[in-house]
Formats: sequence, C-alpha cells, structure tokens
Amino acid sequence: MFLKEKDKGKKAIKIVVAGPYAAGKTQFINTISEIETVKTEAKTTTEDEKKVKHHTTVAMDFGRIAIDDKHVLYLFGTPGQSRFDFMWDILGKGMVGLVVLVDSTDPSTFHEARKIINYFETRYPVPYVVGANKQDLKGAWSPEDIRISLDLDDDVKVLPLVAKDKNSVKKVLLELLEEINKVLEGQ
Amino acid sequence: MAITGNLETFNFVDIFQILKKDKKDGILVIETNNKNFAVYFKNGDLVYIREVPKVFYVYLDIDFKDVMKKEGLSGKDDIYRALVARLPVLLSLKKGKFSFTPGFIRYSDDIEPFIPLEKIIMFLSRHLTKEEVERKISDIRLVFEKTEDWEDLAKRANLNDTEKKVLNLINGERTVENIKDELGIDLLTLEKILYGFLAAGIIRRKRHKKRKLGFDLTKGLLSKIIEKIKGL
Repeated sequence: MFLKEKDKGKKAIKIVVAGPYAAGKTQFINTISEIETVKTEAKTTTEDEKKVKHHTTVAMDFGRIAIDDKHVLYLFGTPGQSRFDFMWDILGKGMVGLVVLVDSTDPSTFHEARKIINYFETRYPVPYVVGANKQDLKGAWSPEDIRISLDLDDDVKVLPLVAKDKNSVKKVLLELLEEINKVLEGQ
Repeated sequence: MAITGNLETFNFVDIFQILKKDKKDGILVIETNNKNFAVYFKNGDLVYIREVPKVFYVYLDIDFKDVMKKEGLSGKDDIYRALVARLPVLLSLKKGKFSFTPGFIRYSDDIEPFIPLEKIIMFLSRHLTKEEVERKISDIRLVFEKTEDWEDLAKRANLNDTEKKVLNLINGERTVENIKDELGIDLLTLEKILYGFLAAGIIRRKRHKKRKLGFDLTKGLLSKIIEKIKGL
C-alpha cells in the first residue's frame, strides 16, 4: 500500500524511526530520504501541542532510499503521540533496525522515549540506537546523561544528533547498520 | 552540558539516578516560587542542603569550607543535623525548576556523605504515583536482571522485607507479571520497588543476547546499504 509504482517487485527493507512527540523524526527522514518524505500529518489539537508545532504525524512518515534494482530501503517514522501507538506494532513488524530519537533539550519527554524502547524491546528485539537530537541547541543534555536517564546499558549507542544535518543523520544510520552487522556476524 | 528540567516531569528519583550513576560532584539548584535550595553532591552522594534567598548566592562559594562558615557549621555533627532537618523539606517538593552544575565546589577529604543516595532513592520510590512508575515500568512483559554490584547497592539501599523478596525473584527470566503473581503483591507496589531498584542501579533491563532481524538480510546486501548511505 505504501510502495510507489516503480518499487513494485522490489524487496523492501525497513528501518523504523521512533521517538516522543517533536523529537525530530520527520526531520530525520526528510534529511536523508531520496524522495520527498510522504507524510500523514494533521493539525495539532491541544494547546500544549500547538505550542510545540502546528502539524504532527498521525499514521507514519516514510522516506525512501534505493539500494539496487531489487531492493529499496524505507525509513518509517512512527507517530510520537501515544494515542497513535497502535501504529508502532504495525510498523515494527519486519523491521531490521530501530532508531529512537529524543529531544535532548526536553527531559520531560525522556520518559516517553523509555516507554517506546520498552515497547519495542519486549516485542521486536532488533538492533537499535538512540539519537540524542537537537544537540546544537542551548540546554541540550549530553548523550551520556540521556543514556542513564533512559536506563540504557553501555552497550546501547546513544549518539549525538542534529537531524537537520545530513552528515549527522548518516552517522546515526551507519552506526545502526554496524549494529545490524554484528547480528549477522552472530555476535 | 546541561542537566536541567522541571520537577513536575522529572522527579528527584530520576535526578538522583543520573548524579549517582556518574558519581558526579557539583551543586543541584532547586528553584520554587518561594524557596531556593542548593544541594551539594560529592561522588554522586548528597552531602549537604542549603537554603538560599537568591540563586546567585550559591555561586559565590567555590570551597565547601566557606559554605560551612556561612551556614555556621563547625563540624560533621552540625552538617548532619542540618541535613536531616532539611531533607524532608527538599524531598517533599513536587514543583520547581532544577539545574545541576558539575564540579564548581571543592571539598576537603574529610567531607563524607552521611546517607547513601540509594537509601534516599528507595525511600522516595515508595511514594511514587501510578503515573510516575509507568515512566520506567511501562510494560508487565519487561524482564530485569541484577547488575554486577547489586549486593553492595542493595545493602546501601536499606531494603524492607517486601523489597528483599522482590529482589530474590529477579533473575533475568521472570517478567514483571511473573513476579507479581508469585509474590501476590499488587502491581503498583511492585512497580514502585522496580523503579527504585532501577534508579539505584541494583537491577537493569535484561540484555538481549540474541537480537533478531525482521528481514532476511545478507552481508552482501548490508554492505550495499552501507555504501549507499555513505554516498548520500
């Protein structure tokens, strides 16, 4: 249903980008996708949400990167608000890896990030990394402090990220792919 | 880097967890509508609590000896008395801004914490609300395991009998639901205990020894993906 006409017959490889509301998931996908990100946005409804942004993802975002004639990599962004969490299960099925984004400047959202990690870890234990986004902004928590706050072990990569910056996004994805490689090598 | 936030969404247990894990030295400043507190930390343990009329007063003293002088403290007994008098006031705060300044204050070697932070963390965890515990224990399918130094940390935490029973059942296999059923305790009590254990570093989420991919990926295809991303 999400595939473009030219992708028919190609195998879809799926990476999911999850995270709390306004963590920068849509931006992350936008920055790296070869196509304009397909968005399913609606206007924000509550006053608190409107203070942060005017539109929010309600089903998913997806970006696309062509790999070869037979394969295409899709980046699926989950909705950040918990009222759309039924989408997490739909998007989690069949993924090869997970990127969890957090807004490093907003510790009130770290709890939601932890819930998201708990959710995927208990259902889809795929390789994952955490992107500590908005590291360019004042008041950003360090990736190390975010790791402790999310109850993550040292073996989980918590990476500094600026989702507007292509190299920064590439670095996070490459780190995830390295984790996936470890699984393939049986480590 | 900053450790700042609001007590309404990030409580003392969460703050202490970070300061303890990293064994941080420094000053935690709490600003409320009518009171300001400076909480002094040494190696991740709480040493002293000072009430200040204005926040900038905190940053006038870079040596703890000067703090002692201004507070009229002549020795360890005075520090202890003032600490235990102010601790309940501090811990009862539910609203206000917090910010932690690492380093900054110099301590002499003889300044030692009186109360292990693990004990304070467990005390606070016993009073958490359902909404708060769900921040960490959001799924009854979660599985926990003990950390390497769990015995030392549990001793410092001064656990009660129920907490000890829960700790005995944590083995990297049982889920939250299994423990609840085996002990016959209510879920909220169990969640509070697990929240405290996590924050005190006694347990951690079980590490997945084997991760699974939801797609039949080959090393050759993975190499192609890596090269493609690098070239973008």
